[in-house]
Amino acid sequence: MMQYDSRPKYLNLFKIKLPVTGVISIFHRLTGILLFAFIPVSLYFLQLSVKDAASFQQLSVLMLSPLSRFFILLMLWSLVHHLITGLRFLLIDMEFFLSRQSSRASAWGVVIVEALVMVTVIAGLFL
Amino acid sequence: MSMVALEGLRPWILQRLTAVYLLLYVFYALAYWLFFDTLTYVHWLAWLADDVNQILLSLFYLSMLIHAWVGIRDVLLDYIKPFLIKLLLLFGVALFLIGSGFWLLKILMMVQV
Repeated sequence: MMQYDSRPKYLNLFKIKLPVTGVISIFHRLTGILLFAFIPVSLYFLQLSVKDAASFQQLSVLMLSPLSRFFILLMLWSLVHHLITGLRFLLIDMEFFLSRQSSRASAWGVVIVEALVMVTVIAGLFL
Repeated sequence: MSMVALEGLRPWILQRLTAVYLLLYVFYALAYWLFFDTLTYVHWLAWLADDVNQILLSLFYLSMLIHAWVGIRDVLLDYIKPFLIKLLLLFGVALFLIGSGFWLLKILMMVQV
């Protein structure tokens, strides 16, 4: 009889140590799902901004509340992360960053650029 | 080359073409947003009423709906095993995206200067 006892019985996500390339990749997927959910929100905002001057004003007031600021920030972060990692994936399709070293380096590059963009976004929106 | 090999190629190419347009449009829109310190209703409506901007915005949403379809489809195909649930979810996502497209058309028809 074969022994299977040493094999894991279930997949424990917390036991998986992803390299930085894997982390930004799974967050590309996660932010993609978030952006999908934000499509109707963006349309609702667009509709309010278009309808009349009063609803445009209503939208700018709505955007000041802490809750909507949290969601706007979440949406902007999703967009920024998805765009920058997506750009890296396009460059990988064009056969850049194929070695392990340049792949890791470009993934850290993504993290740094993303952090800088988000600091700028937060400074621009909230300060 | 077999047809099976081609099946994955079309969404793969669509995903990348739409990605490039979405990326370019974001920079185009950003250039406009950063130009204004505070955006007024009159300026915003004039921008949306512009024919070129209307077409580019429509293409932006069309690209986004296609991009979202391929992306969410991939996610559902990866994680949802039961066939019937997978089919229902894909159907729901398709309806959601097509509905969003019609909503955008309705909004664009509201734009009058």
